Amino acid sequence: MTADVQPVQVTYRADAAALFPLALGTGLLSVVTLGIYRFWAKARIRRFVWSQIRVGDDALEFTGTGLEMFLGFLLAVVVLAVYLAGIQLLLFFFGIRFIFAPETPLEEAMQAGSIGLSFLAAVPLMLVALYRARRYRMNRTRLRGIRFGMENAGLGYMIRALVYGVLAVVSLGILWPLMTYRLEAYMTDRSHWGSARFRQGGAWGGLYAALRPYLIGLGFLLVGAVFLALGEAWFGGVVVAMGTIWALFGMALYQTRAFGYLTSHKSLILPGPAAPMHFGAAPRGGRVIWLYIKGGFIVLLLASVASGMLFGAVGMMSAQILGFGGEPSAFAIAEVAVIGAVAYLVFLSVFGTLSLVFISQPILGYLAGSVQVFVPTGFLDALHQARAEVGADADGFADALDIGGAF
Amino acid sequence: MGPVEAAFYDGQSAARRVVQVAATSDGRSLVIQPEQGAAINWPLVDLRAVEDAADRLVITLHRAGDTVEARLILTDPALIAWVKSTAPDLHRRDVAAGTLPKVALRIAAALGAVAVILFVLLPAISDRLAAALPRDQEVAFGKAVVRQMSEFLGEGQAVLVCENPAGVSALDRMVSRLTDGQGLGYDLQVVVIDSPIVNAFAAPGGHVVILRGLLDEAQSADEVAGVLAHEIGHVESRDATRLAFRAAGSAGILSLLFGDVSGGAAITLAGNHLMNAAYTREAESAADSFALRLLSGAGIGTAGFAAFFDRIDGMDGDMPAYLSTHPDSALRAAQARAAGTAGTPALSDPDWQALRAICG
Repeated sequence: MTADVQPVQVTYRADAAALFPLALGTGLLSVVTLGIYRFWAKARIRRFVWSQIRVGDDALEFTGTGLEMFLGFLLAVVVLAVYLAGIQLLLFFFGIRFIFAPETPLEEAMQAGSIGLSFLAAVPLMLVALYRARRYRMNRTRLRGIRFGMENAGLGYMIRALVYGVLAVVSLGILWPLMTYRLEAYMTDRSHWGSARFRQGGAWGGLYAALRPYLIGLGFLLVGAVFLALGEAWFGGVVVAMGTIWALFGMALYQTRAFGYLTSHKSLILPGPAAPMHFGAAPRGGRVIWLYIKGGFIVLLLASVASGMLFGAVGMMSAQILGFGGEPSAFAIAEVAVIGAVAYLVFLSVFGTLSLVFISQPILGYLAGSVQVFVPTGFLDALHQARAEVGADADGFADALDIGGAF
Repeated sequence: MGPVEAAFYDGQSAARRVVQVAATSDGRSLVIQPEQGAAINWPLVDLRAVEDAADRLVITLHRAGDTVEARLILTDPALIAWVKSTAPDLHRRDVAAGTLPKVALRIAAALGAVAVILFVLLPAISDRLAAALPRDQEVAFGKAVVRQMSEFLGEGQAVLVCENPAGVSALDRMVSRLTDGQGLGYDLQVVVIDSPIVNAFAAPGGHVVILRGLLDEAQSADEVAGVLAHEIGHVESRDATRLAFRAAGSAGILSLLFGDVSGGAAITLAGNHLMNAAYTREAESAADSFALRLLSGAGIGTAGFAAFFDRIDGMDGDMPAYLSTHPDSALRAAQARAAGTAGTPALSDPDWQALRAICG
């Protein structure tokens, strides 16, 4: 089998200079249009980013449109309005006694609980939205003119994510690989590229190698906690601090390594006896953390320069409008307030652009570039187009719930 | 220009085909010649760019009402330059016919649905829930609202509840004169808070708050009695409780639009909304007629109530908060005057002076 398999490298081509003007321009347009343009902005940025990911000599293609995302958002808002308003009212009804001013510790706990509850009420919807957003991106992605796709199974995903999520949290992260693996397998096994289906191989136990740094950190943390409980404040504190930092780095490492493991155990299967296509990826977790730290540093630096220029200008304009001495008119105050609000929104979009260009894009580029595809001879010739699927909400729910992610 | 090599995907198979591409002699089309089979003709007007990178141009063919999935990948610089300069609609984004009405319909439907939720569904549910709320909880809630309001008015520092004994007993006398024998459902808790703002409001569960500014602004005890009777009207019809429920529900929707689903802001919003209690016109006029009934039942003239509206109506520009949520002062003054019965003053002169000095 190895003799007639051809390895193909995935590459990401863009640099900062190519994405920056697009992201900033569309971001500013979104501010000017009170956020309406953000759907078209998202479509344009995705078209760009997708087209920079090449599998061998072929680029990915994003065929989604701003219009369909906008219409999806409208649909999502209506559904969410009913749901969230209902939840809010019920919580208010039962929490009315302590929601404004708790009087006893019990009532304080209940107040915190009811705020947490109204967040929890949104979690199932967020999980469905997460699945649907991925499905939409798959449905609107093509390679070699052939569509990707994913089954409509958000509800099953939501139930599994809730169960595995609770298990992962209750076990202090020890069962995290179970959640990661099962959820990824759930989505992968429901995905296809044209007539070929994706399959997730491997097992959840295989992810423990990736989790080892986190587990070591967790071990230190627990040992330190025992010392703290025994009254060894100084020694216990140091061990807990060390364990926490170790565990945090461990979490970041895990995500990259889990991506590598899961990708390396994916395959693409054609109906019939043809040999499957395999994937390989070995991204280094330390590299991703470094990209994150380096990018974060650049973003902070540039964002503070930008905010200095922006708010310096706002300050000068405000001083001119308000004048010196004397009572400013209500109109002048309103004018300054509007200028301040606009400057704030502009700053937010500059900040968003910078993190997209200097953090999200380099990490995406690195991860994409770590992937290899092993294509058996004749595989692509036998692969055919699949029926087009249309999701009613595009990724409107994800947008309304603000869980879209960077891309 | 002779034929150049390019890659072609027919949209049906993932197979990559090597083709020869050339312009037709009339310069209006591209001819794509596969290794086997017939040549394909792509008119330049129907060409659309899919990807436009530094080293290549990926194009597809647009056909109205038909998705063509074939892709042609050009890498020859001369041909790319020619296509870019000649194909007229290379970068057009085609929109299917009938899209505009569809979009307009969807926007209208979404706005309509949200409006129905906000103005029909939510008020209906809120009113049911407010009616179902046990009275002791409503009272506790009202107490918390009053406390939150006084904190808000003091900008963080506790604002003094005015407790000058002579003033408090004068206020009590006014309250009992208005309400005794009227069979009200709530134990009224009326307090004066030391704030310069000209305002008064009802909180859930029988709480009424008068701000010191209103006592300063009023020129007779009858005016204060009128405002007080109006607020008692809101108390009796549970307007404040209902409003709080509506605010809590709509806060859920608003937080959605502003991208805060945690609902943390919803609680603050509900509280602040009560501060600027904007009741419906119906609730206002109901409270007005209730006030006029109370006043005449207590034998207090309505002229003071009318005079208060008149004076407030004359003060545009520096508009007191009380007016901004209570529209049509002139109309309401006229109504109060029309209902007008003469009566005895709401408080004796020494009591009125004591009430004005309640914060002293």
